[in-house]
Amino acid sequence: MTATPVLSASNVSMVFGGLTALSEVSLQLHEGQILGLIGPNGAGKTTFFNCLTGLYTPTRGTVTLRGRTLPSDPAAVTVAGIARTFQNIRLFPSMTALENVMVGRHSRMKQGPLASLFHGPAYRKGEADARARSLELLDFVGLTGLDDELARNLPYGDQRRLEIARALATDPAVLLLDEPTAGMNPQETEAARQLIFAIRETGVAVVVIEHDTKFIFSLCDHVSVLVQGQLLVEGAPEVVRGDPRVIEAYLGKPPDEVEAEVRQYAEEAGRPSAAESTMVIPPVRERDGGSEGGNR
Amino acid sequence: MSQLKDVLKPGLARPLAVGGGVLAVIAALLPWVTYKFAQYGGDNYPAAASLQFFDAPFQLEGYRLHTLILGVVVVVVALAPVPARHRVLRALGWGLVAVGVINTVFAAVEGGGLGAVTAADGAIAFGGFACVVAGVLAILAGIAGGIEHVHVWRAKVATPVAYLVLLVSFVVLLLLVAMMLNAGGQGGVGNPYAGPIFLSLLGFLAGALGALHGVGLTGWISKLSDQHKVFSVAVLVLCALALPFTEAGTDYWMTTAANIGIYAATAIGLNIVVGLAGLLDLGYVAFLGIGAFVAANFSGAAAAAFGVELPFVLAAIIAAVVAGIFGAIVGSPTLRVRGDYLAIVTLAFGEIFKKAAQNNIGGLTGGANAIPNVPPINWFGQSFDKSLTIGSLELPSGVLYYVLIIVLVALVMVVFANLKNARIGRAWIAIREDEDAARAMGIKTGQAKILAFLIGATLAGLAGAVFAHKTSTVAYDSFQFIESVTLLAAVILGGMGSIPGAVLGAALLLVLPEKLREFSDYRLMLFGLALILIMRFRPQGLVPDRHRRAELADEGAEGVPIEELNVHDTPGGSTAVAR
Repeated sequence: MTATPVLSASNVSMVFGGLTALSEVSLQLHEGQILGLIGPNGAGKTTFFNCLTGLYTPTRGTVTLRGRTLPSDPAAVTVAGIARTFQNIRLFPSMTALENVMVGRHSRMKQGPLASLFHGPAYRKGEADARARSLELLDFVGLTGLDDELARNLPYGDQRRLEIARALATDPAVLLLDEPTAGMNPQETEAARQLIFAIRETGVAVVVIEHDTKFIFSLCDHVSVLVQGQLLVEGAPEVVRGDPRVIEAYLGKPPDEVEAEVRQYAEEAGRPSAAESTMVIPPVRERDGGSEGGNR
Repeated sequence: MSQLKDVLKPGLARPLAVGGGVLAVIAALLPWVTYKFAQYGGDNYPAAASLQFFDAPFQLEGYRLHTLILGVVVVVVALAPVPARHRVLRALGWGLVAVGVINTVFAAVEGGGLGAVTAADGAIAFGGFACVVAGVLAILAGIAGGIEHVHVWRAKVATPVAYLVLLVSFVVLLLLVAMMLNAGGQGGVGNPYAGPIFLSLLGFLAGALGALHGVGLTGWISKLSDQHKVFSVAVLVLCALALPFTEAGTDYWMTTAANIGIYAATAIGLNIVVGLAGLLDLGYVAFLGIGAFVAANFSGAAAAAFGVELPFVLAAIIAAVVAGIFGAIVGSPTLRVRGDYLAIVTLAFGEIFKKAAQNNIGGLTGGANAIPNVPPINWFGQSFDKSLTIGSLELPSGVLYYVLIIVLVALVMVVFANLKNARIGRAWIAIREDEDAARAMGIKTGQAKILAFLIGATLAGLAGAVFAHKTSTVAYDSFQFIESVTLLAAVILGGMGSIPGAVLGAALLLVLPEKLREFSDYRLMLFGLALILIMRFRPQGLVPDRHRRAELADEGAEGVPIEELNVHDTPGGSTAVAR
């Protein structure tokens, strides 16, 4: 792992009116790293993502990509080398899978309006290259043979993959995945995990926002926990998982403590505890609701 | 519909169809109108005479011939093994209903009531009613049998065969267009029957094309033309150039066809803005106007602001550039304004242009006096408004404008098709689909949108330059809001984002008013009604492009097999060329 980070956010604060959505968040992403960003609803994860992708300009603090400050325009950020997927899939539904990925090639193609107009040899070469690269990416994410399918007709899991292929088509240095496994079944989640590992192999650093903590802890090299706009804990997954503050803030209280509370409550109420044998606290896995989704 | 389905058992399909077909044949042989139309000088309704078939078997013509053909085909389809039989029967049935209703309603309204089409003064005529009933029977037969999906031909053919098929289909298309233009002749006071005869032919052709579409023929031809794009376009242009040599080669139709061409070129330009980039523009005709006024001012006309006479090509280029600059100016609010608000901005621009032209701002437009006497284009001593004689063949006047405009339309089509299948075209479509996602893909959406406006306006300006010379008078009132709406209607009616759609839409919107002159009181009402019906039953437009079809026809949602989604279902074989 190299010393200089690919992506670095230092003391990023974001204030909407009187509301501080992020305060002094710093984060470093190194080459070949998969970084997980977790936190309860409203913790500011998506706001932070939007600061990284140029949708928002941070009120204070800077985000740098390979030492350069990010521009404040999403298109320019993509050109600089950060690609993203969206929490709720945002493909171009009436374009084919191949066309979707080729739109991703847009910023890497040198084809002016005049070349487009006359379809000269340069146009044909550029077009053929973009097509070949896009087909390659479709293969890479496992959508071989579906290139001529309209995006809207693809099953849900394939749409997620297509979105990743489209993001990869921009030749990013950093890929930001906003809840890549939302709504997926365990098999699809496992496939997504393998895909993200494969993406890391190609030299792209990855940031993942997820609610599925099991997924995050089994995937990431480094996990940061945001709570109420502040960076609570960061470190290796094992460290973060065991940190009591994280468990309390994000996962709620540990099951045995909750169980104890339930028992106590039951005793106080003067009845035998119903919780003794059946009480199981499932891992918290909630969907990121409207509060953050509406920021965009 | 579902209750209807319960009553109609599949077994009823064949008897119903045979009954309908036979009844249609009988209808063709029955008289359709009881008496001569006194108000038209005792003129008979064309082809309505009673039982003429038996005196002169081969002189059955017009709508009665169409009824006969449809009837015979219905019987044949009911008995022979035909793919997608019930879909075909339904289409033929609708054709019969259209032919019957159009002629019966016209005869009844103009002939003084139901007596004109039933029984009066000892004469009887139930042809029209029999025709409608026959059509309904055929439709019911189709519903009873269950409407199948459009049949798909998977036949692959060798290139020469494909060329031959395409050649034949385009020539047939050419003859159909000529026939349609000529049907009923030129509308007007002298020829009150033009409207119904034309509409009736349209109904017949719609039924016939619907049937061919059901069988899969049109889909197959459009697939072939997709595979051999260059050949198809070349043949199509040649066919268009051959139109003056057909029966439609009259002064009048050359002029009308040239007008259609100008509007088609403008509509294709608008299609870039609306169809590809998804930006609603309600003031688009202003760019046509800007092009026309610029060209008129450089034409050497007496009222022109500049006393120079530039060669047409140069004037046209200047017109296109100026229009393009205005396009970029109008497009610049799109950086901040979206959707409905953008529509209002463009609407306001259109009005500003009209008012400025009306008030002769800068002395450039002639105000209410317009700029009259713009000289016709003159190349090599041949004035474009005179007739052209090649050897012993005399071509109608206006043919040179027609040819010039065909070239213009072809050029605009190439621009559209090339841009659509390039980086910038994909960017436009991406912006239309999801602007934020497009930005996240590195597309500079502001630039792309302004470019869409700029290119669209440039094309309209070019068309405007031709318009100025062709009509010889450029007045502000040629560029009113209603013209913008008509252009938009042409684009939407034909199918957004599709070239053949824009041409078809422009053609329909210009030919219909010409043919319906005698209904001028009801013209706009009928027109509006037709638009409402088309938007209700075919929201994707007549010849949709693939993206739009997926979006609006909801074919995917109805569980149509995926392979079928890939087949271009266009009603006319020719029309899929430029996709």
